[in-house]
Amino acid sequence: MNNSLTFSYKLAIILVMVVIGVISGLYLPWYSLGILFALLAYILRIPKGIAFTLGLVSGFLLWAISAFWIDGQHPSSLPGRMAHLFPLGGSVVGLYIVTGVLGGLTGGLWAWAGANLRFNK
Amino acid sequence: MKYIKSIFPLALAIIWTYALHNSWGTLPPLGKLMSPFHGFWVNAEAPESAELSEENLQIPGLEKTVTVVYDEMGIPHVFAENDHDLYVAQGYLTAKDRLWQMEFQTHFAGGRISEIVGEKGMVSDQFQRRMGAVYGAEKSFEGMKEDPKATETLQAYSDGVNAYIESLTERNYPLEYKLLNYAPEKWTPIKSALFLKNMSFVLASGTDDLKMTNILRKYGKEVAENLFPNYPFVESPIIPVGTPRDFKSVPIPEGPSDFIGLGSAMKTPEKDPNIGSNNWAVSGNKTVSGLPILANDPHLTLSLPSIWYQMQLVAPGVNVYGSTMPGTPNVIVGFNKNVAWGVTNVGSDILDWYQVKFKDASKAEYWHDGKWKKTTMRIEKFNIKGKESFVDTIFFTHHGPVVYLSHEKPFKSNIPVGHALRWIAHEKSQELTTFYKLNRAANYADYAQALTYYSAPAQNFIFASNQGDIALWVNGKFPLKSYTQGKYLLDGTDPKADWTGFIPQSHNPHAKNPVRGFLSSANQSSVDPTYPYYMGWQYAPSERGRRINERLEAMSKVTMDSLRGLQNDNFNIRARTLLPLLLAKLKSPAGGVYGQAVNELARWNLQNAADSKGATIFENWVTLLHEAIWADDFSADENVPMNSPSMDRTIKMIQDEPQSAWWDNVKTKNKKESMEEIISGSFKASIDTLVKKHGPLGSEWFWYKHKQTGIRHLIPGMDALSRLNIPTGGGGTIVNATTMKTGPSWRMIVELSKEGRPKAHGVYPGGQSGNPGSTHYDDLIDSWAKGELRSLLYLEKPEDATGRLRKKIILSIKK
Repeated sequence: MNNSLTFSYKLAIILVMVVIGVISGLYLPWYSLGILFALLAYILRIPKGIAFTLGLVSGFLLWAISAFWIDGQHPSSLPGRMAHLFPLGGSVVGLYIVTGVLGGLTGGLWAWAGANLRFNK
Repeated sequence: MKYIKSIFPLALAIIWTYALHNSWGTLPPLGKLMSPFHGFWVNAEAPESAELSEENLQIPGLEKTVTVVYDEMGIPHVFAENDHDLYVAQGYLTAKDRLWQMEFQTHFAGGRISEIVGEKGMVSDQFQRRMGAVYGAEKSFEGMKEDPKATETLQAYSDGVNAYIESLTERNYPLEYKLLNYAPEKWTPIKSALFLKNMSFVLASGTDDLKMTNILRKYGKEVAENLFPNYPFVESPIIPVGTPRDFKSVPIPEGPSDFIGLGSAMKTPEKDPNIGSNNWAVSGNKTVSGLPILANDPHLTLSLPSIWYQMQLVAPGVNVYGSTMPGTPNVIVGFNKNVAWGVTNVGSDILDWYQVKFKDASKAEYWHDGKWKKTTMRIEKFNIKGKESFVDTIFFTHHGPVVYLSHEKPFKSNIPVGHALRWIAHEKSQELTTFYKLNRAANYADYAQALTYYSAPAQNFIFASNQGDIALWVNGKFPLKSYTQGKYLLDGTDPKADWTGFIPQSHNPHAKNPVRGFLSSANQSSVDPTYPYYMGWQYAPSERGRRINERLEAMSKVTMDSLRGLQNDNFNIRARTLLPLLLAKLKSPAGGVYGQAVNELARWNLQNAADSKGATIFENWVTLLHEAIWADDFSADENVPMNSPSMDRTIKMIQDEPQSAWWDNVKTKNKKESMEEIISGSFKASIDTLVKKHGPLGSEWFWYKHKQTGIRHLIPGMDALSRLNIPTGGGGTIVNATTMKTGPSWRMIVELSKEGRPKAHGVYPGGQSGNPGSTHYDDLIDSWAKGELRSLLYLEKPEDATGRLRKKIILSIKK
């Protein structure tokens, strides 16, 4: 197996993951993100060593940027309130990060799981 | 090995996802909640632009097209072509803004909170059901169904709510469903009945009978009647003294023989909520316009989403504007082109307890009127989230449900165990018909007729018409009682203690166009003691009512704005009497903070203004003084809950009974305290606590900082969705009755017009939307806190040229 993928190949995988993530997010339940990342890792033969990181980065970017974008499109006091609830001292930036981390860990774990299913047979 | 290696990450991913998909204790389902595509992010709403936007929605069940225009406050003005469509639209639009609140409140009312929050909701759920909330709603639903119009209205409203629920997918559920991780269920007409019954819980479930019996047992009847008199010393009753009566009273029942009940012993303290309301109508001969002006501000526990939902409802035969209650059709407080009306609560005694004598442990029979009679049983099933469901049996005598059996621990300390509950809220009723008719009323006769259908919770219905009439009916179903019947716990075996009938509705206290040119109510005594029937011994303290009446008496050339001033009046009428009395007896340590505080009180203008320090000192002192006088005698044993005498009685004692034995603190064994010592001691204690809490006397002592008014989200502890520490003045006995947790939940002033449209102003502490992600969630709070009102838009047709419209929705038939 090949652990030394080129940077542009990694970037392409991240892009594919993000696009798939957006589409699944719009039409499927939230956890479809993970299942689809696992499938991608399996089908695209993403190496075990890098799958988690790629899933993590994709999931993080997908959720953090989407949250940021929605907040820009629909400015409201809600993220600020949620940032008090969690509690992040009302920091909306903190909330983007927490959102990104949750999406990232979900994406990373599932991509890792997908890669392991293929390469540990 | 390889197999495990390949499965392990998958297992981890599944566990992680499972953990994030579910709620854990109070922790919400983080994955679902935080996903930008599914979670709370989706609930963010951008403020609407100033330009009119248009939208088309299709709704099943409509007969014709309905046009809705929203104004800049997000208030929908609904134009339908028939009643049916009007109420479908009301249900749909209310749900669109308030679905979670409607459902949560009816879940609460029906004792179903444990389905959402699990076992911790169980005690309150059981209490609701044992008090007969569901039983009462079923009875009242029966009553509603006798009026075909009400049935149609309820069904249409329900269809509208369901049309909205069906249009939702999980990702656009209201925020609270996502936080608490559950889904809305289908709405049914009986939920509206549950909601209306819950108003009796909110307004007419207060009960002192147990506490009074405990006093009777400890001190005897003479003391109980002396300290808890049946009419206040100072009062300005709702129906003006001398109002002629247009009825011949029916005979009063003989009443029960004297009975000293068992009382009961139990723990858990409980506070009476500070809930009251103001309303008044001023007749044309006192107003600048020459036509009546009506004002109303119902006080309730302040909460978010707002208790009320403003709407204008227009269809052939009706064009009404006002506040609706999410969960029930029609406008509850409002106006149309010809009339305006408002409500305050009546403090009459419509809830009594009967000590039950069961034959044996099976509780199948109880003793009444010299015979063993059969109980009936009602089975209530509780579906508890995360637990097995629980089945509870409630025993009923002919009086009503036995709320707690003798060995059970009650949810609230004022509820006696082993007693059956007789409560007006269990009667068949037709409140919906009243509001349906009030919405369409054109004159006094229509209003009076509409009120004949109303049972509970009894309200002071204030009224004004553009024909120049003003009126007030103290209205509801009142049991026909002997004098003071039900002040103490009653003997469940004595048939003479039963409710034998009701005061005929046409004999309910009422007044129309009095000479003094105004009518008002503020929950004080409905009538003076010459009224032929006994309605209750204890009403809200008279201060607000007296202040309103003295102001209205003095005012001439009344305008909407001068009445807005009266709604926000912060004058402390209690301090006017009491403060000089106290200062005359006060022996305060000279100098230091005590001296400063005395000076502060001496120059206080008696206004409970937000930035008053005098108000803080006075209110805190009075609270501690009352406690210092009475706690040793009436709160000594927490197992035997008792009432403390009212402030009205206490002031009487300060004025006329300086030598009374009650001044002595019985807890100090070798000392007999004098009135002066108690007054001075409580002053020192109150200043000490204020210094401890707020530091040296300064701006930290401002009344609003001490009082800490907050408007809290319905989910307890949800501060992030609440507005706390709101800078407002007022107080419990102030016309501006804003306390820590309660206050004017809707302020409305209407000036009627002969030909043109009525002029109206209003505000509530919140906003139209129930969505914390909307600007309309709390955008009216600042105006409310400042005492401002917003001009209310009364449209004749949706095309009325106005720069205030923001959004137009066409609701069309879905095939």
